[in-house]
Amino acid sequence: MTTLLDRFIPESRDCLDSATAGLLKLERNPADDGLVNEVFRSVHTLKGASGLFDIPALTRLLHAGEDVLGAVRAAQLPLDSAMVDLLLGALDRVSEWVDSLEATAGLPDDADGISAVLSKQLWALLPSSTGAANPAAADCMDLAPPPGWLADVTASDRQEALNAILVEGLSLHAVSYTPDDGCFYRAEDPFNLVLQLPGLLSLTLVRRDAEGLAEADPFRSALAYNALVAQPRSEIEHLFRYVIDQVVIAAVPASALDPACGDKSMAMPARPSNPVVAGMILAEQRRIIALPGDEASLKARLTAVEATLASLLASLDWTAPPGELAAAAAEARIGEPDRLLGLIAALESHLKAVPGDSDPVAVQASRRAPTAAEPKHQGRVLKVDQDKVDRLMILIAEMVVSKNSLPYLARRAEDVYGSREMGREIKDQYAVIDRLAQEMQRAILDVRMLPVSEVFERFPRLVRDLSRRLDKRIELKVIGEETAADKTIIEALGDPLIHLVRNAIDHGIELPEHRVDMGKPEAATILLRAFQEGDQVIIEVSDDGKGIDPQAIKQKALEKKLISQDKAESLSDQEAIDLIFLPGFSTAQEVSDLSGRGVGMDVVRSAVEKVNGSVTLASRKGEGTLVRLSLPLSMAVSRVMMVEVGDGLFGVPMDGVVETVKLPVERIRRIKQAEAFVLRDAVIPMVRMHDLLETPRRLLDEILEEAVLVARIGGRTVGLVVDRFREGIDVILKPMDGLLAGMRGYSGSAMLGDGRVLLVLNLKELL
Amino acid sequence: MPLTITKTLARFEEACTVEEALPLLEFLRGRKTAKADLSRCTYLHSALLQLLFMGRVKIVALPGDPRLARWIGRLLAGGPAQNGPVGQ
Repeated sequence: MTTLLDRFIPESRDCLDSATAGLLKLERNPADDGLVNEVFRSVHTLKGASGLFDIPALTRLLHAGEDVLGAVRAAQLPLDSAMVDLLLGALDRVSEWVDSLEATAGLPDDADGISAVLSKQLWALLPSSTGAANPAAADCMDLAPPPGWLADVTASDRQEALNAILVEGLSLHAVSYTPDDGCFYRAEDPFNLVLQLPGLLSLTLVRRDAEGLAEADPFRSALAYNALVAQPRSEIEHLFRYVIDQVVIAAVPASALDPACGDKSMAMPARPSNPVVAGMILAEQRRIIALPGDEASLKARLTAVEATLASLLASLDWTAPPGELAAAAAEARIGEPDRLLGLIAALESHLKAVPGDSDPVAVQASRRAPTAAEPKHQGRVLKVDQDKVDRLMILIAEMVVSKNSLPYLARRAEDVYGSREMGREIKDQYAVIDRLAQEMQRAILDVRMLPVSEVFERFPRLVRDLSRRLDKRIELKVIGEETAADKTIIEALGDPLIHLVRNAIDHGIELPEHRVDMGKPEAATILLRAFQEGDQVIIEVSDDGKGIDPQAIKQKALEKKLISQDKAESLSDQEAIDLIFLPGFSTAQEVSDLSGRGVGMDVVRSAVEKVNGSVTLASRKGEGTLVRLSLPLSMAVSRVMMVEVGDGLFGVPMDGVVETVKLPVERIRRIKQAEAFVLRDAVIPMVRMHDLLETPRRLLDEILEEAVLVARIGGRTVGLVVDRFREGIDVILKPMDGLLAGMRGYSGSAMLGDGRVLLVLNLKELL
Repeated sequence: MPLTITKTLARFEEACTVEEALPLLEFLRGRKTAKADLSRCTYLHSALLQLLFMGRVKIVALPGDPRLARWIGRLLAGGPAQNGPVGQ
């Protein structure tokens, strides 16, 4: 069961995602039949699959959603935004419950109540006649096991039920309705509600307590109503839609009505829910045919048998030659039952051939979720746990590192053991392993590549909800959602992007009437664009809203004392706009509930920089704003430059390195405490790495020239004085974890070919 | 008056709503054996059905409406269930 649940959870998330996305599209384009079908199918599939587990609250809610979508599909119900709100809300709930299922293998305690309320709201949307017209709602689902009181149903009621089913082929449901104490005060009338059930076959009353008349409260409902109903579930649920939380509806399989209790000549109902029951029914028919009796009773029995077999054939999709059954029955009536018995035997062997008839779960699965199973297998997409991929990547990374030790070995073979030939052979082997390792690395990085649609997917919903709440009209356009980047990058993108889009909606976009005054179209546009540029992924969020006013920003920064008056006057417009990236800056006059998470643009910037990306912002007052995030395609392999400082070996990320200079000491100028030097007419401040890293300075008597690594950090150029330059290498950067996790100044560590550990510096944090 | 009470008989007429529950209970409390005549009853609220059921009231006449008669006859066992009109 656990493995089934494990499979159910990701599949249900897929279904929920596609249903949500479909609904949003549908809202804008309600006439699209394909979309309605798609959404309906997702919900239907999910509902069907959920029936495999004991989670009636979830199943019922989906069922209600399915009913509404079914009505929309059948054009009985026009789709409006309020309805989409309700459906999305329901899907959100289901999504929460799926999370809870994953975490605790059960639903939260309040699920039943929420499900009842939401389903009621959904069912209330339905026009009153749709229940029966909706084919999907008519399928019977065993949400609850048949109740125990079935055994108390009188034999005559039982027979009546079976007869009705036999003739009409209806599904049988047991309805246990327990009105709550105060129902009379809400003008509910349980008895008359039950009487409205079409196809009511049996009704019994049960006292909920032993209270006598003497102390009875006449206005307190004290009875439960148990009814046997020959009606599709949807019809029953529709009638009880306002008290659905007080009703348990269970499908009654034929086997639940013990044939031994019934009349001997009674035939079993045909509509088997599974092959086992079908087999029982066939055996019963065989017995009925063989019963002794006069001609009249034989004829009556054979008519019943013929009807039973006919519906059995229909329900099993058995393709018997047309007329075969009628002919066989006619023969039997004149005392030649062989052909009829032969037909039954053929059916029985057909049943045995039905796969999985000993496995009820498999039978249920194949019966309930055919739409889920079939299309999904065509793509042959293998779903793998992310952890496994991550583990594979770590293993490959370690292999890349260990292969780096082969050149050392080759050198040792030459230098220590004096065998050039051996050294060359090792190098040859190394070349092969190196190529394979690189290919493996590329392949695993490919696996980790995710399309940006992973994060873009949530925006249609976000934009829709926010724009409705703020009464703004916004069109979201998404371009390049198939652009792929490493999973880490994609995951790091989520929060910053949400913030940017919220910002655009909240601060950027004007109310429709303002837009019209400005001569802009009433509906604003937010454009999310992703594309690849070199080894970078670029994500742009742009809007055509009011843009950013550089003067207002300057003013704000002055008020908050983030800059001085002098500096404010010297800033260009672009530099002023960039002030919003300063920590502690927020232009909103009041904190609204949208941007009220305490997240400013500085957090966006630092989140992006954490994955070695950068943010730029361009804006024109009155025309809109464009925020551009550039991120590396993959962060699994980084190129670093190795430097020696004191006794240690450190890596400096290559993208920050501008050049390396050997600087004669006499060119170093001292300005008070600081040192600087002139490089191609620019004054570059110098920082001694010994001081930064607090490593002992190498004591050499005479240093004639210093090794200076010129790096660009956050727009500034700095000269880093190191002891010695080493080569640049590709490393798999592992973030610091454990005790070292919080250490500032380092972006991670990497293993070198000779087994040494290389600490990779984060210059921005260090300086 | 939907509910008319005589010495041992409660007569239900036309639509009998929840309003009649209290008078009916008073009537039932006072008696060991009580009878009910539903022949002119067209509607019986759950609260009344509940009292008739709990008080094991003998039904001397079922409603004229066949559907109502059928179910009331069956539910209030001991009443003339077998003699009542059966069928939908």
